[in-house]
Amino acid sequence: MPQPGARGFLRRMSFLYSRVLDLLLVLTVAIIIVPVTMQIFARFTDIVPRYIWTEELSRFLLVWMIMIGSMIGVREGTHFTVDLFPVLRGRIKAAMDILAGLFVLAMAVVFLWWGWEFTDTAWFRISELAELPLWTIHMAWPIAGLTWIIFQGERMWDDLQVLIHGEREQP
Amino acid sequence: MGGNVIDPGTAAWILFGGFFGMLALRVPVAVALGLACLPPLLIEDRLWPMILVQETFNAYNSFILLAVPFFLLAANLMTIGGITDRLIRLSRALVGHLPGSLAQINVVLSIFFAGISGSSTADAASQGKMFIEAQRREGYDVSFSVAITAVSAVLAAIIPPSIMMIVWGGVLTVSIGGLFLAGVIPGLLLGLVQMATVHAYAKARGYPTYGKATWGEFGSALFVSVPALMTPFIIIGGKIFGWFTATEAACIAVLYAMILSVIVYREMNLKGLWTAFSETGRFAAITLFCVGTASAFGWLLAFYKIPDALLSGVSAWEMGPILTGFFIAGVFLVVGCFLDAIPAIIIVGTILQPVAEAAGMHPIHFAMVGIVSLAFGLVTPPYGLCLLISCAVAGVRVMDVLKDTCIMLLPMLGVLALLILWPDVALFLPRLLEPDFLK
Repeated sequence: MPQPGARGFLRRMSFLYSRVLDLLLVLTVAIIIVPVTMQIFARFTDIVPRYIWTEELSRFLLVWMIMIGSMIGVREGTHFTVDLFPVLRGRIKAAMDILAGLFVLAMAVVFLWWGWEFTDTAWFRISELAELPLWTIHMAWPIAGLTWIIFQGERMWDDLQVLIHGEREQP
Repeated sequence: MGGNVIDPGTAAWILFGGFFGMLALRVPVAVALGLACLPPLLIEDRLWPMILVQETFNAYNSFILLAVPFFLLAANLMTIGGITDRLIRLSRALVGHLPGSLAQINVVLSIFFAGISGSSTADAASQGKMFIEAQRREGYDVSFSVAITAVSAVLAAIIPPSIMMIVWGGVLTVSIGGLFLAGVIPGLLLGLVQMATVHAYAKARGYPTYGKATWGEFGSALFVSVPALMTPFIIIGGKIFGWFTATEAACIAVLYAMILSVIVYREMNLKGLWTAFSETGRFAAITLFCVGTASAFGWLLAFYKIPDALLSGVSAWEMGPILTGFFIAGVFLVVGCFLDAIPAIIIVGTILQPVAEAAGMHPIHFAMVGIVSLAFGLVTPPYGLCLLISCAVAGVRVMDVLKDTCIMLLPMLGVLALLILWPDVALFLPRLLEPDFLK
């Protein structure tokens, strides 16, 4: 639903951001295939030279794929949960979701704070084989933390509306 | 315990209490595992929370885990690219004349699918869409249709290639090629048992039966399926003969599926490709994300030597190999009700490994007992992904299909018991083909 003013703008921004993440996720999945394929072909044929960095590059892409996917998972609420009471609805569901959301936010803060510390250790280090600057990979954690906060915050805001005003299409 | 602030007992209470407490509040599994680690990391002088980030990084930075998205992608490409349709035709020609035809086809297709994909959840999702509605139209009970779809999807975890086996092999350092071979006979036995269950149901409830396919129909169905049926041999063969690693085998499966669907069968377009990549990325990421925080959790368990403490109690019971086998299966069956297979392998598998070793179980036998039990966990609520997915596709509640699922599980538990009592069910093939794996 379109919303006026700053809130509507924020929503559009977060939607746009999620589309960008979507694109990046598809690209990572598509690109990971390349170094692993090169690695196989290099072993059995002479078409491609035997680069030493293929294995490491594919691992780093996997790291990014997981972290980007985890951000989208927060936005879409698809992270696995163990639902003991599956028939929650309306205000009770909203309240429970907000409670669970607080824990997700806590995790996001951990990733942001100590993920930054993690990145801070890596400014001048490079990876062993591909010689990539390590901060480009460690950076995934603070970025994930920040993104989790945005997406989870958006979900919790919606739940808060349900909690205050009740669910609109409630019978 | 030299100089830790918290003693192992308290640490176990904090870790497990925190984890289960948060689960009960519907906090995502991955987050609950991660946050449960936080109090000890903050309290201990020698630890700090960056370890949580470091450990998740170490877990993801793994070439073995890369097999998970690849096998998922192969399965998605197969379904979107029309390979599955060919396999349905073949299954129809093979078992269409048995009572409960459509449900039999459902099981047989799962067996084929299992040989190509390593992911049970991909199987449940794709076959749920294909079969549940079709079976309902032919007069099958909905609960039966949902249950057989979910239960047959379990085969994908047991018949190689299997993501669970790759993770097990990676975490507990067991030969993945050996596990692949060991899974063949138990997987086929389970498939057979499921077909017998369908037979019994169909006889009792009068489900429809198709006419027998002619040899001509069978021949042409086989012909169009041959390229697809080659996949398991390429993957498993390549792994067993040591041509490539598990991850590379999975990558080959992706390339092969892509060639089949784009060039041979020509049913893949750009939009389909995009969907396949995007769904793969999403699902692989949330699955693997759990592995990261589960690894941090496992790291802390090891730091406090909690597994040792738990084990000292169990070893005192002095069970023989068979009793140990049943104990291990029981633990995994219970854990599988609440936890995803991958964190279960990391947390519980590592705890139980010394128990199995002490009782003289072969590592591959132990792995198969664990993997089969955990695979059953895919259909046991509250956390049974295959059952949840099938129910979601059919739009029914888990409670409504529970009875039929339990009935179908009974003969399957019989196969598990056979596997425990008679290790050769798992060990025969590896011993025959590649004795080296049994070292």
